Amino acid sequence: MNRLFYLLSALLILISPQLGHAALKVVTTTQDLAAIAQAVGGEQVQVQSLTPGTRDPHYASAKPSMIRKVFRADLLLVIGADMETGWLPPLLQSARNNRVQPGNPGYLDLSAAVPLLGKLNGPMSRAMGDVHASGNPHYWLDPRNGVRIASAIASRLTELDPANTDAYQQRLQTFTRTLNDKLAVWTAALAAMKGKPVIAYHKSFIYLADAFGFTIVDEVEPKPGISPSAASLAALVTRIKDEKIALLIMEPYYERRSAQFLHEKTDIQVAVLPQSVGAQAGIGNYIELFDAIVAELKKAMDT
Amino acid sequence: MLDHSSLCMKRASAAIAAFMLYPLSTFADPQAGAVREQIDAIRQQMQQMQKTYEQQINALEQRLQVMEAEAQKSTDTDIGVPQPAPETPTAAGSGLQIGVSGLFAAGGSSVGNDELESLQAGAHDPNQNGFTVQNLELTLSGTVDPYIDAQANVILQIDAEGETVVELEEAFFTTRGLPSGLQVKGGQYFTEFGRQNPQHPHVWSFVDQPVVLSRFFGGDGLRSQGVRVSKLLPTDWYSELYVGMQNPKGETVSSFLNAAGEDIGGFTLIDRDPRNFSDLLYSARWLNGFDVSDKVSMNVGVSGLWGPNASGNNTDTSIYGADLYLKWQPVYSQRGFPFVSWHSEVLQRRYEAGDPGDPNRQTLKDWGLFTQALWGFKPGWVAGLRAEYASADGDDGTDPLRDTRKRLSPNLTWYPSEYSRVRLQYNRDWTEHLSDKTVDSVFLQMEFNLGSHAAHKF
Repeated sequence: MNRLFYLLSALLILISPQLGHAALKVVTTTQDLAAIAQAVGGEQVQVQSLTPGTRDPHYASAKPSMIRKVFRADLLLVIGADMETGWLPPLLQSARNNRVQPGNPGYLDLSAAVPLLGKLNGPMSRAMGDVHASGNPHYWLDPRNGVRIASAIASRLTELDPANTDAYQQRLQTFTRTLNDKLAVWTAALAAMKGKPVIAYHKSFIYLADAFGFTIVDEVEPKPGISPSAASLAALVTRIKDEKIALLIMEPYYERRSAQFLHEKTDIQVAVLPQSVGAQAGIGNYIELFDAIVAELKKAMDT
Repeated sequence: MLDHSSLCMKRASAAIAAFMLYPLSTFADPQAGAVREQIDAIRQQMQQMQKTYEQQINALEQRLQVMEAEAQKSTDTDIGVPQPAPETPTAAGSGLQIGVSGLFAAGGSSVGNDELESLQAGAHDPNQNGFTVQNLELTLSGTVDPYIDAQANVILQIDAEGETVVELEEAFFTTRGLPSGLQVKGGQYFTEFGRQNPQHPHVWSFVDQPVVLSRFFGGDGLRSQGVRVSKLLPTDWYSELYVGMQNPKGETVSSFLNAAGEDIGGFTLIDRDPRNFSDLLYSARWLNGFDVSDKVSMNVGVSGLWGPNASGNNTDTSIYGADLYLKWQPVYSQRGFPFVSWHSEVLQRRYEAGDPGDPNRQTLKDWGLFTQALWGFKPGWVAGLRAEYASADGDDGTDPLRDTRKRLSPNLTWYPSEYSRVRLQYNRDWTEHLSDKTVDSVFLQMEFNLGSHAAHKF
């Protein structure tokens, strides 16, 4: 029992006030949000992402190192729309940081800052696969939403750290201007894609399609989150041939065999698109993400 | 045996804990009947919660409708004008979450049901030649207010006699944002000892519970009523310290006061009640977590338990354990696959059997370990292998809970989706207490999850 006495005493001694630091600690669930927060926050913030851009944030597993990060955070930025529902709630429970609990100023759900697509109306069932009632959560793949996200983050940073309001607003303007200029370049580069039918692996590119004017007519997955079967692939082969669909787009982390099979059967071009900042080497910020996506799409179209 | 000074220490530490947790101390009340009162209180609380949540959900729905109407107006996609962020709806963590999880098994073994039940000693293990309803679990959870979260797990089960059994598996609250990284948990809960013990059957990687846990903690795992405090230590890595105290009596605290009439090592347990704070079950755990690299993460923990046992009026038990968990996942992964994980635990128990002066008095020393590896080789598919060993000093090979036991269990699991699972497992047992020294068993398990699927801890 002596041990316990010491443990309890140690516990009491360890109740020490947390020392404040100059930079706001911003923790994000994905690298895309981290990149935008960094662009807006500059040296006034210290940004960490809980998941790397190479992994599907929907299936991240809560790790102890995440608890430390959330525990110390001043601001937690989340994608929302059920994206992190499998791992964020227990993480928030373990992290015991009231500042970043939902409802407090330190918690910002960016899905509320953008118009969500793919909202489901009518009856919903899990027989439909992995569906999100509140809308499709892959909204960062529309550069116009990048501006909305940046703007929401800037307002929240201003609220939490009013002393640096000018710096945040200035960086937001720079970010918005750069993105606007770039959007014109990207749109011009992909002009040939306007109105074209495209197949995606997963329901994750509807915002990209919306931004650049192409149409996603089908997915390789028969239902969201359900792996393709021989029968579902055979049906796709027929559809691709009938409708002369020329392009298949997918994230780097999905299996390539189904796409390879469709390519061999129908000659459809496959573009593996980085879906997030950090998904591939050389994509360090939000602008570079779309540079890479546009380059991949152009390459696939020109082949 | 305790000398006077260590008893004082026990009381002093209890007093400190009691002071810290003064408003919660009702949970540690050792008086008989308290459990029943508590269950009634929790039931009332749950009904109350349901009512409040329904009101809140209605209010939120109305807010949502208003916001959606507003959003409709402003869905112009003009990039130039950054819009201010609308009020954030508290999507995560609000509302009452309800989940139902069912676990069913079909099995066949080279021995009859009586022998199989002695090998599959976990209360939720498949233990019949034929079908077993392992577990139907109802989970209610949610955020109560800005200060606490709460959760209740009610289990329904059909036993070997065909009777339906209802258990309050867990019902507890946790604080949300105490200062200095502290968290208090109180109610009825699984003791945080090792990695496996606090896990519910539907998150296990094998169809049955490890042999050594069935021996030390009984069929249902170690759980009881009490409070615990945990603290995130101010280290550069994740480091958390848990200390707690719980009631030491009942079938789910089997190495401690347990229930009168049960046997251990030839001693029949008496009806002993905790006399004061120093007679409670004390627990401590220190858990550390590291990211070894981008691909590998590791958890290392040590745990301890100290409390009275009912083989005499002045007898104590202590249990120590160490656990290690390693997980590898490549930088690119689809639905969390592929991965490799390795989980091992070793436990040791020291059980003082019989009061001083009792001619049969002895100290029973038992130990055991299990080590299990999982390989998620393609999305939805996991292959596993578990090896176990358990033994006890001075056993004569007749006690099913103390003989030398080895078990090897390969299995294969398929997840058609996140919400369902099919698992095939083969068990090879080496045992002393049965006339068959080796036993072969095969189990096929099916799991489903309805409603809100309780997210898993790391």
